[in-house]
Amino acid sequence: MELKEVIGRRRSIRYFQSWRQVEREKIQIMLEAARLASCAVNATFLKAVVVVRDQLDHATLEALKTPVSGLNIELAPVHIYTYVDMAAYVGAQGRLKKLVDVGALNATHGWSHKFVDDFVWPNILKPLAQGATQASVAAAAASDAGIAICQAMLAAVDEGLGVCLSAFVAEPIAKIVNPPKDWLPLWVLLVGYPAESWEAGGQRPRPPMEEQFFEGKYGAGFKPDPKVTEQMKAARMIQAPAPLPWRKEEIRALARMFGLPE
Amino acid sequence: MSAPGKPLEEYESVQTWYRGLREQSGIDPAQDPSRLELLREFCATLDLDPDALVAACLLKKEGRETKISVKGRRSMGERIAEFQSRGASADSRERARRGNTVRSFLIHNGILLQSGIQI
Repeated sequence: MELKEVIGRRRSIRYFQSWRQVEREKIQIMLEAARLASCAVNATFLKAVVVVRDQLDHATLEALKTPVSGLNIELAPVHIYTYVDMAAYVGAQGRLKKLVDVGALNATHGWSHKFVDDFVWPNILKPLAQGATQASVAAAAASDAGIAICQAMLAAVDEGLGVCLSAFVAEPIAKIVNPPKDWLPLWVLLVGYPAESWEAGGQRPRPPMEEQFFEGKYGAGFKPDPKVTEQMKAARMIQAPAPLPWRKEEIRALARMFGLPE
Repeated sequence: MSAPGKPLEEYESVQTWYRGLREQSGIDPAQDPSRLELLREFCATLDLDPDALVAACLLKKEGRETKISVKGRRSMGERIAEFQSRGASADSRERARRGNTVRSFLIHNGILLQSGIQI
């Protein structure tokens, strides 16, 4: 699939073929996509533990459910529990110098080993590493983790899978996956083959571009060029909006299939 | 309900339910009167009218926003599960329908309930 269509196809899938396992190879592809995501100071803020739902005992599965995510957690055959590793700044000094060595950070842009050792590490990164409990540090780290999660989601869609980010109750799963104390719980990425159509009722509503993005200054909305919009429709990044005409019937059929309330 | 005060359809919560079925789920409640009968049966087991059933899941405090009561919701979920299991002669799909009808009523009245896969 072309990238634009992958972006267009991604949406939160909430009905999974709960009986169908996901191939380990596809999970590896997702994790690789996450691993290769952009990350500040080449620090891997995202950490994750892959859990197969059917390997959880019933009591743990029940305890993981939040009021709004319970059914999703029950239906998805694979859960990827994601965390922000607040200790990821540790070791940043060495990693930055490695980026200098491989030609990513260059003298053209003012970088050198000495700059890292004498300025960046002691004045910027070391305080961040030591102040990892600060909200601003957590926000930056979580942002990086989010980028990585998004790449994993797009890779999943490209593999024909459905994905959905969901909240989870950290304590019960911690007894299973045993995360280090520096790991801040983030989201569970639910993965499986969709039981609903991949359209899932259509592309979700978004505000007009001019309300979200601005040109030059806030208030000057970024006006989309209709020709470019048409190109994105042709490339299937922009798709038929929700609700598709048959969505209600689809939901009723899914409710009957899974024995769910309407 | 030892003595229902009025026809079930006249309770505000039932009207809300019907509206939700029509507008959100695309279902015409008039097509299947068994929904109302199941709700009536459930209300009778708890001796509550439909509006009181919804109220039992809420936490209302003077001067504060109404919240969903965690205890009330959990207790109601357990009572629904009992009600569902009482359809002993019915197959699993029919038993699920018993519970899901009541869940649907509460869901469309703003009480979040997730039943899990029932069949």
